[in-house]
Amino acid sequence: MSRLFAPAPTPRLLAAYLVIGLVGSVILIYLLHRGLGPRGRRWLIAVVTFVAGLFYGLEFYYPVHNRKNFLTDWIEPVSVMIAVIGAFTVGLGIYSLCQVHGRNVARRRPGWPNSLAFFVAFLAMLVFGLWSHYTPVGEPAPKVLPWQNGVYEVLFNGLFAPLQTATFSLLAFYIASAAYRAFRMRTAEAALMMIAAFIVMLGQVPVGAWITSGIPLTSPWAFFRLETLGEWILNWLNMPAQRGIVFGIAVGALAMSLRVWLSLERGTFFSEQR
Amino acid sequence: MTQAPPHGFWQRMQQIPRYYIYALLAGVVIWQLLFPIRLPIAPSRATLGVRDAIRNVPEDKIVIISVDWDASTQPETGPQTQAIIEACFQLKKRFAIMNLAAPMGVKLANDIALRVARRYNAKYGVDWCNWGYKVGQGNFLMAVAKNIPKAVATDFYNKPVSELPMMRGVENISSIGLVVEVTGLAGMTELWLGLIQGPYGTPFASAYTAVMAPGYYPYLDSGQMKGMLVGAKGAAEMETLVNRPGSAVAIMNVQSWAHLLIIVLIVIGNVAYFMGRRRPGEGRR
Amino acid sequence: MNPQLWILSAGAIATVLRGLTAALRDPQLWILWAGAIATLGVYTILYRENPVSRFFEHIFVGLSAGYLLVATWAFNLEGRWWDPMIHERRWYWIFAPVVGFLFYFIYSRRLSWLARLVMGLFFGAGAGTFFREFFPLYSPQLYASFKPLRPDAQVGWAAVILHNWLFVIVLLTVLSYFFFALPHEGRAGRNLGRAALLGRWFMMIAFGAMFGNTVMARISLFIGRMRFLLKDWLGSFIPWLAHRGM
Repeated sequence: MSRLFAPAPTPRLLAAYLVIGLVGSVILIYLLHRGLGPRGRRWLIAVVTFVAGLFYGLEFYYPVHNRKNFLTDWIEPVSVMIAVIGAFTVGLGIYSLCQVHGRNVARRRPGWPNSLAFFVAFLAMLVFGLWSHYTPVGEPAPKVLPWQNGVYEVLFNGLFAPLQTATFSLLAFYIASAAYRAFRMRTAEAALMMIAAFIVMLGQVPVGAWITSGIPLTSPWAFFRLETLGEWILNWLNMPAQRGIVFGIAVGALAMSLRVWLSLERGTFFSEQR
Repeated sequence: MTQAPPHGFWQRMQQIPRYYIYALLAGVVIWQLLFPIRLPIAPSRATLGVRDAIRNVPEDKIVIISVDWDASTQPETGPQTQAIIEACFQLKKRFAIMNLAAPMGVKLANDIALRVARRYNAKYGVDWCNWGYKVGQGNFLMAVAKNIPKAVATDFYNKPVSELPMMRGVENISSIGLVVEVTGLAGMTELWLGLIQGPYGTPFASAYTAVMAPGYYPYLDSGQMKGMLVGAKGAAEMETLVNRPGSAVAIMNVQSWAHLLIIVLIVIGNVAYFMGRRRPGEGRR
Repeated sequence: MNPQLWILSAGAIATVLRGLTAALRDPQLWILWAGAIATLGVYTILYRENPVSRFFEHIFVGLSAGYLLVATWAFNLEGRWWDPMIHERRWYWIFAPVVGFLFYFIYSRRLSWLARLVMGLFFGAGAGTFFREFFPLYSPQLYASFKPLRPDAQVGWAAVILHNWLFVIVLLTVLSYFFFALPHEGRAGRNLGRAALLGRWFMMIAFGAMFGNTVMARISLFIGRMRFLLKDWLGSFIPWLAHRGM
């Protein structure tokens, strides 16, 4: 088995193995597609799902000798292989984006200059990102960067990061507006929620500690210092409630994982081809 | 049935244009940034736990700082990362930065580490390194537990990690003295705790955005986490502990007044609501 | 015009151009101004939806997509797939892109089952990973839930009641809120219903704490951006702002 997966001895043999592997895979996929009907495909998908889950679960629960069992040595290569396979899916979302914006530009739909801007930004980041990756400056960086590295820095630190931060910082305004317009003490539960929110909000900031700084830390009333009260709410009211939710999530996730592992789920990604 | 237009002072108060609220918030923030009223910041037990966890890392082990954040949470997670890196340099603990979920974070954290490293004359590859962004999440962690050089392969600068001086002797999870997770994304902590901290007993500490922190107090209580930084407050506390007050301390000075403004707005909104409530039958057409 | 004046003017213009060129070569200046313009462009949406903010949104999506490709290649595929396959001649890595590209058949109606085949691999691996992490992750939560309910040498009655008793009551009532196997009828059911109601009240306190933290998080993001605009951008040419100690 280890001889089968040994590295190719020469570059020419490597090229041959790569071509054979590629062509062989395509032929295998073709044969599977032609040979398997809907029931066979469903069966194959169920078997692959089951074996993938069984591998990881079994390696963990199977008894060990000298801290390993017969599957332990396979964990690292299989995990790396699955991670690398997952990396190839990066194009899925990008293909979708390019399709949508490409149609906008090709058909000159309203707002097509924005779609063109999307492509310009996409290609600029791709080109200068890869160019900068292949012209590393080392550490310490020189005072004058190569111009392509400079452009990449401007794209990343000058546009990409600020745009993302600014977009998410808009939430501060929305939460202020929503707090004023929508947070109403209509019920006792809402009032409880609001009081807890006030105490935690003040307890987390220096002004809260300042407001109740008159209560000595050693006095029995120190519990009512805002920062102490806020910590107490987070540790002894919020924490057990969150733990209850964690237990609920744990059981639900276990049930869901079992259903997925045993291919009992039905839905968009699990249903058979029509 | 059409809705009656707001009449009366209290009804109009409930529907003031949102621009006034935006302007108030911006005004308070700008005022405090320009004329800050500085108040002391005392570290909490959770923050001290992070500092102590870094301090307790054995000399022959390294720290992993998993920077699973991006620019959307940078004002919180950026200072947290910086304060943790400062602590590692001050306490002379070698560390490796890596990222499982947000490709942007690894470059932002790298820029932070480069800036801080210059202050301590720390050398890349000797005192710290950057493994880069690694696809695979749980699969990657399982591979790291068994064989770090093979799982990581190359670093942020595309050099094989096995060639870095600090990575000599770092074979698998037993070479890791602490994992510090800095993140704004849910789900990453469960992977670290379930696949690394639980099975191998590797000490774990964390730094979260304030939004997600309440959900992780159970793990602090159970001892699975040694400590936790909570948002900009935790970052400010850590900056205070490492004697490098920076952006987080500046943010917390402003935060106080912004919180007071939000509380005042909520109170005014509720007063307007209760005072402006119609009697039954009033206003129907 | 006086020739000396010509020479002086030409010298002044050359100096300004030299300074401008040097400044333009400095990426920091571009970074500051691009960041400020981008931030202000996004903030125009606070007034209303407009072409400027939409333009910057599209730029952001484009940069994001481009960076994802760069990061995936530079930090993953190059070192963990291409180098082992080509430089170490590990030929079996050719199967990774073959399996990975099966995902793209999701766009084909006839061949989409191949995409589901690979998804099955990932869903199965994910389920198996969860089976591995279940006990190490959640059993410490169970152990930590059994807290001492009697005082000892270190912990007095006040702490035991305010902490441990409260913990147990909150945990059990919150769990009872999610227990749907018993209807809230009959004597036992009605007691369960009361416990569930209490659990809901405790959860509202927890959600209030979460709201408080959420406010803190969101406001921090805005403060960070304002700090950049005032200290880094405006402060770069208004010294008074740079030295405000922000």
